Amino acid sequence: MRIRRSTATVTVVALALVVTGCSSGASAGGGESGSTQIEYWSFTGIDAKAKVAEFEEANPEFDVKLTEVGSSAETAQAVTAAIASGKVPDLVLIQDDDLAKLTANPGNFIDLNTLGAEDIEGDYFDWTWSAATSVDGAQLGVPTDTGGLAYAYRTDLFAAAGLPTDPAEVAALWPTWDDFLAVAEDYTDKTGKPFIDSAANSVFRATVNQVTEQYYDDKGELVYDTNPQVEEAYDLAIDAASSGVSAKLGAFSEGWSAGIADGAFAVMVAPSWMLGVIKSNDPEGAGNWAVTTVPGVGGNWGGSHLLIPKGAKNPEAAWEFIKANQSPEAQLQLFLDHGNFPAAIEAVDSPELVDATDPFFSDVATGAVLGQSVAALKPFPIGPETGAIGGEFSNAITRVDVEGADPATSWDDALSSIKLAIGG
Amino acid sequence: MTTLADTPIQQKSPTVKSRRRRLRWERTSPYFYIAPFFVIFAIFGLFPLLYNFVISLYDWNPIGEQKFIGIDNFTRLFADPRFWNATVNTLGIFLLSTVPQLILALGLAHLLNHARLKAANFFRMSMLVPYITSVAATTIVFAQLFDRDYGMLNWLLSLVGVDPIAWVDGRYTSWLVVSTMVGWRWFGYNTLLYLAALQAIPRDMYEAAEVDGAGSWAQFRYLTIPSLRPVIIFTIITSTIGGLQVFTEPLLLNPAAPLTCGASRQCQTLVLFLYEQGFGQYEFGYGAAIGVVLFVIIVLIAGINFLISTRIRGGRS
Repeated sequence: MRIRRSTATVTVVALALVVTGCSSGASAGGGESGSTQIEYWSFTGIDAKAKVAEFEEANPEFDVKLTEVGSSAETAQAVTAAIASGKVPDLVLIQDDDLAKLTANPGNFIDLNTLGAEDIEGDYFDWTWSAATSVDGAQLGVPTDTGGLAYAYRTDLFAAAGLPTDPAEVAALWPTWDDFLAVAEDYTDKTGKPFIDSAANSVFRATVNQVTEQYYDDKGELVYDTNPQVEEAYDLAIDAASSGVSAKLGAFSEGWSAGIADGAFAVMVAPSWMLGVIKSNDPEGAGNWAVTTVPGVGGNWGGSHLLIPKGAKNPEAAWEFIKANQSPEAQLQLFLDHGNFPAAIEAVDSPELVDATDPFFSDVATGAVLGQSVAALKPFPIGPETGAIGGEFSNAITRVDVEGADPATSWDDALSSIKLAIGG
Repeated sequence: MTTLADTPIQQKSPTVKSRRRRLRWERTSPYFYIAPFFVIFAIFGLFPLLYNFVISLYDWNPIGEQKFIGIDNFTRLFADPRFWNATVNTLGIFLLSTVPQLILALGLAHLLNHARLKAANFFRMSMLVPYITSVAATTIVFAQLFDRDYGMLNWLLSLVGVDPIAWVDGRYTSWLVVSTMVGWRWFGYNTLLYLAALQAIPRDMYEAAEVDGAGSWAQFRYLTIPSLRPVIIFTIITSTIGGLQVFTEPLLLNPAAPLTCGASRQCQTLVLFLYEQGFGQYEFGYGAAIGVVLFVIIVLIAGINFLISTRIRGGRS
């Protein structure tokens, strides 16, 4: 069934490509070998080569010249340099942390609506689609994947503390953030050990995205200092930071990595890609871990978009590559092959994803848990300083959490740091 | 006889011509030999340096607007507490890393020079290992040593009853971590420079000093130090330039907030601040202004160091 469906899709796409491929080849003056070249810049470590080879095999009229630039940040830097110099590739993969900085100047990228992006808009979750929509309404990117957001927790430590271990029962412990904090304090009281890795990572990262409006309003005006939703998200994290339930370990620090295996904390935030991080830090931990939903409604950490820079030689060809590789079927296949969590609704809802279980995480259907988190998220406006503002709030929480700064003055400090960071 | 007299006369004019040509070539050719360095330096060193001054006068987004704003970047910079924080951090880390490092290097070079060591070459060469180890690898190892919960240092301290210290989270302790890494990387290199200079001092000078009744401290003070003066000046200036540009160590030390080296910018150096503004925020103009100020600071401190170190006793220049 699946094979037949994807074969049919490939055939349709291939046919479409033959038609458009010829026309774009002609308009570009024709490549040397009669094939249209697509210069594609991607990250290392995400196996872009295999996807490119697959695409070229199915579409011999295209010649994809793949450059694996480096890490996602290095790729964004290289793209910046390319735009500044005026010699750009046809297609670039940009991680969402770097996206707003680049799309703040929408003139640097092609509005994909001019290539037919509206037709596929409905395939993807609205919040990740709109993350690549510029203030003037241009669609600058197509989402390739998301992170989702779940809690990974230690079943052995939960059992020892008298807590349930079944994901559904654990989720029932914390429908709201207040419930979650109560469970956390209870755990710490009983065991004398911290419950979460850090307040910035395991609370704020979730709460601050469970909003309908964040640092910008829908007119693109900054509202980070007046928006009650931001303050509420911040206060929840401060509560967690000052109640003694945090292990005060910064994400990816040495102590944090060792603490995963060591049981230094019982719960940590887990987007899809973090599941692999947990496995590699705690190779002996199979069966001691499970995954469940976060309190509130949904979450996300991570994801990327494909963009076509203005000045690309073969934008139509690049668009065909996007359509073929980011269809719901293709994103589902990528999840099944490599675990990249899809941004396409149909892929997240597919039985193959919903039923996928992971023995390391006590045979929990991880795909279903993460799928719930991305389906529940609401879109909110994102601006060029979203990353910088979030970083300053996160730093302010860490100061309370790790350095014992005063929670009362911390909010004011956060606001003045943000004013400095975004240039007043 | 006639042939002998004839030959020089016949050959005279071409010889003079070719000798003159050779002389001219000998005078100009050195410029061609050194040209490759200076051409490449002009393209990759001098031009970016000068262009940096230009960019510092602009509100410069690499992929957006570029607007001339005069000295606004500098007035903003001098009013920016983050800049002063980074300046104090940089100077603190510089002093903590450079001073002990050079003293240690001098002492160690003295030992390696004098003591009758077996396998002296092995010890001398192993001084270079920290220098050729990648900074990223060094940082990872030191971050492990200084880790709060699992670090070896806190474990050793716990043996004498000291509570675990969150090295990276505190301001001065994080300076210490960065300084240790910087010192570790450079002290072997400086030791070798000192050692090379020590070996150039003739042995008989020490013998003569001994005959004159100078003890080993007096020898060190009045013979070794003055002889090392040029090398000491050289190492002080290179350490000043390097020590004020510390970047990779603080960048990699705190993965949760890499560009600020922690939530309170506790170990953010000037170059890391420059990087945060330029490449994190895309404020190239502001970043370039930080670069200009850093340039001035380095020139000033290197100048002061030069003045002080030329006064090292025994300088006869």
